[in-house]
Amino acid sequence: MIKFLLKRVLEFIPVLLIISFIVFSLVFVAGNPVALMLPEDASQEDIERLTVALGLDQPFIVQYGKYMLDLVQGDFGKSFRYNTDALPLVLERLPATLELAAASMIIAIIIAIPLGVWSATRKNSSLDLLATGGAVIGKAMPNFWLGIMLILLFSVTLGWFPVSGRGTIAHLILPAITLGTGVAAEMTRLIRSSMVEILSQDYVRTAKSKGLRNFFVVYKHAFRNSLIPVVTITALQTSTLVGGALITETVFSWPGLGQLLIQAVNTRDMAIVQASVFTIAILVIFMNLLADVVYRILDPRIKYS
Amino acid sequence: MSANLQSHAAAESDAGVIKSRKKTNALSRWTKLLLKSKTGTVGFIIVLLVCLVAAFANFLAPHDPAAINPAKMLKPPSWLEGGEKAYLLGTDNLGRDILSRIIYGSRVSLLVGVASVILAGIIGIIVGLASGYYGGWLDSILMRIVDSFLSIPNILFALVFLAVFGPSVPTLIIVLGVTNWVAYARIVRGETLSIKEREFVRAARSIGVRNVKIISRHVLPNVISSFIVISTLSIATTIILEASLSFLGLGVQPPTVSWGGILSDGRDYLATSWWLATFPGVAITITVLGIIFLGDWLRDVLDPRSQSRS
Amino acid sequence: MKTGTAILDVDDLHTYFRTEHGVIPSVNGVSFEVREGETLAIVGESGSGKSVTSLSIMGLIDSPGKVEKGNILFEGKNLTTLGKKDYRKLRGNEIAMIFQEPLSSLNPLFTIGNQLSESIKLHQKVDKKTARVKSIEMLRHVGIPRAEKVFSSFPHVLSGGMRQRVMIAMALSCNPKLLIADEPTTALDVTIQAQILELMKKLAKENSTAILLITHDLGVVAEMADKVVVMYAGQVVEHTDVYTLFSNPKHPYTKGLLNSTPKFHETEEVLASITGTVPTPSKMPKGCKFNPRCPFATEVCTTQEPVLREVADGHKVRCWLYEEKEDAI
Repeated sequence: MIKFLLKRVLEFIPVLLIISFIVFSLVFVAGNPVALMLPEDASQEDIERLTVALGLDQPFIVQYGKYMLDLVQGDFGKSFRYNTDALPLVLERLPATLELAAASMIIAIIIAIPLGVWSATRKNSSLDLLATGGAVIGKAMPNFWLGIMLILLFSVTLGWFPVSGRGTIAHLILPAITLGTGVAAEMTRLIRSSMVEILSQDYVRTAKSKGLRNFFVVYKHAFRNSLIPVVTITALQTSTLVGGALITETVFSWPGLGQLLIQAVNTRDMAIVQASVFTIAILVIFMNLLADVVYRILDPRIKYS
Repeated sequence: MSANLQSHAAAESDAGVIKSRKKTNALSRWTKLLLKSKTGTVGFIIVLLVCLVAAFANFLAPHDPAAINPAKMLKPPSWLEGGEKAYLLGTDNLGRDILSRIIYGSRVSLLVGVASVILAGIIGIIVGLASGYYGGWLDSILMRIVDSFLSIPNILFALVFLAVFGPSVPTLIIVLGVTNWVAYARIVRGETLSIKEREFVRAARSIGVRNVKIISRHVLPNVISSFIVISTLSIATTIILEASLSFLGLGVQPPTVSWGGILSDGRDYLATSWWLATFPGVAITITVLGIIFLGDWLRDVLDPRSQSRS
Repeated sequence: MKTGTAILDVDDLHTYFRTEHGVIPSVNGVSFEVREGETLAIVGESGSGKSVTSLSIMGLIDSPGKVEKGNILFEGKNLTTLGKKDYRKLRGNEIAMIFQEPLSSLNPLFTIGNQLSESIKLHQKVDKKTARVKSIEMLRHVGIPRAEKVFSSFPHVLSGGMRQRVMIAMALSCNPKLLIADEPTTALDVTIQAQILELMKKLAKENSTAILLITHDLGVVAEMADKVVVMYAGQVVEHTDVYTLFSNPKHPYTKGLLNSTPKFHETEEVLASITGTVPTPSKMPKGCKFNPRCPFATEVCTTQEPVLREVADGHKVRCWLYEEKEDAI
């Protein structure tokens, strides 16, 4: 197991290298950020002096090398807007984003598991049609629009939940439903198709022939098997979930990473943008690793090699 | 056993379909296949309607989508109290007709969706073919790049790109194309790997046919059906992504009308004028729903092996 | 041959599948009985309805399939009207089943012990410890070496023959009165096949368990069966004891089966001496369902369906050849 983990962690290095290269190239192409850093009335001389001081007159390779050296030390540069290091700013916002993502995931799981299993066991029933239909609509709705509609209904019209901000559970509910719906839709589809396949397997028939109750047949023998593809694909969706969180945060003014990032993009505060990209990439990679571990725990057929 | 029997029966009817195929031409064959699926038919009709609306926007729209009319600010939809017949879905904060704006907005959505998917497809096919066909170190490097792209959310990559190059429709097309190629590359690579080992490709190789020729002759035609399926579903997600970016103010810029943009305008008037934010969202949802239905149908028809695991 | 009381009495069983392509009558009026300690073999090609018959008895026909007509009496209880709960008490306990594919019939995610003790715990209402002891005992009983180790192993580490032994252990763990074995050796190697058959025979004898054996392999029939039902296109075409079947087969289909003598290791159900294949439900011929493949078919065969008629004591045949003879007499 440790060997396997080590191997997987080592595989991250080229991925992170490639990301760093892509991001750096983009920033390099973006051109000289010095003008944005200095006050508007700064002279041409001032700009040149700072450019040289920051090493921005150096060739691409030299700058990339320096950038990587800083990166390894966790230095993504200073945010010129906040005038502090970018990474702590990003990390400070991370818990809020994680809270939102976790809550959405929980909502998605609560909705998707029973719905997916039910519709698979009652294939082509009206409940199945409702569930699969709902899942497709959930997938087709842009989540920022769903968020706005939820605000319109539950905050503006009914006044049940606050419109925006973070703090209480009441603040969390609408954003979590907004973000969770899309995930739940995809998960329901996945669980359903996986369960339909598993339910026709020979070992499910064996379980039935033992006289086991339907509940045990479905949840002990079929469901665990159907989870294997679900876990893998859900982990791959972490990236979609985080992407959705960025937008949902904007809709609900949720003070997370997404809000910070979108402000940074608007003001071209590249240090924060880069720090965010790396933080999110590492998060996604970590989730995929976690899924791999869960997958191995679920399936005894796989050896750690 | 029951599944077995059903597949027997299904095989029976398939055989029937194959026979009738020979008799009728391709168009009526596809029509028949389409009409067999309710959701496929609905999807096709929706997609067709949206395309027609986009193509004939200037005939269909009752008003100029950009015409500001201070006298008609924030009028509700015509069926509500205070609504006017001329403005079916009401007006926005500048007195512009919502319906006309939604009709014109379909143009950008489809343009960005289709163009970026074509771009993504081209990149993906080249990378996937090269990776699968040549293998070796090239494959390793390309697949690491694919992994890297998979660990960055699409929207995040698009945001970085837009931060650097600034928002505009062409940038948007390039951005979304570059973020979406990964799905194609993986599928094309997989198919290429499996086709590469088949007899006819080996045979072609052994008699010294050039690689480029083998690829264009044998590999490409075999990946085309998966390509069509992913493309359709990709257009759906891209339309949502474009709307999201435009909603954030980083996508399509005014005065070009886009669904995400209308939604973004409407957000500030949620408390008083719900219709601003509601209708563009309905337009996006219906369009995307239609494309998904069509894509699912295409998947079932073109590639019965693949399940809903995109 | 023992002549105990009938433990299973299948009477005019009809199991239909209502699909979107129409109604498929998989089992169309099948009757037979299995007596205590007796082995009855149902022989037929794939698509003959033999597996659907066995699943109907187990009550495991899933939608869109349904037992439409007829009775299945097990020890006098009518299974077709039995409640779900009572059926579950019977299944795995008094009627057990072994399936064709030992490779896929065990759940890959649970240990052998978990799956084996499951039905023991369920039906014998014993605690975990007792179930474990009984399970290991059962594993030894079916000739599995190092039973303790196998108990805590996952299915994928076992060979096909070992897995089928596990399946037998599982099926026999609650001393069923009836064991349904659906092609129990088809997926196994020749040498293993003989061992498994021997094992089933021995264990059935010990507990006087009746066996309903579903197979296409006449070698297996000769080895195991007391009585034989030959099925074709959802119907019984010949029903007799095993000696008569081999010495004096009546139905042209049975004769064809005997002449084709499939090689022992052949798993594909191809019959060399009978041309054609079992008709599909949508293309069922008029009259006798076997007539398109029958070398003796006459005009009456293509228009009217023969009935299953007793031609000698305990020997029933569904064929016009024997109807005519009787009329002549």
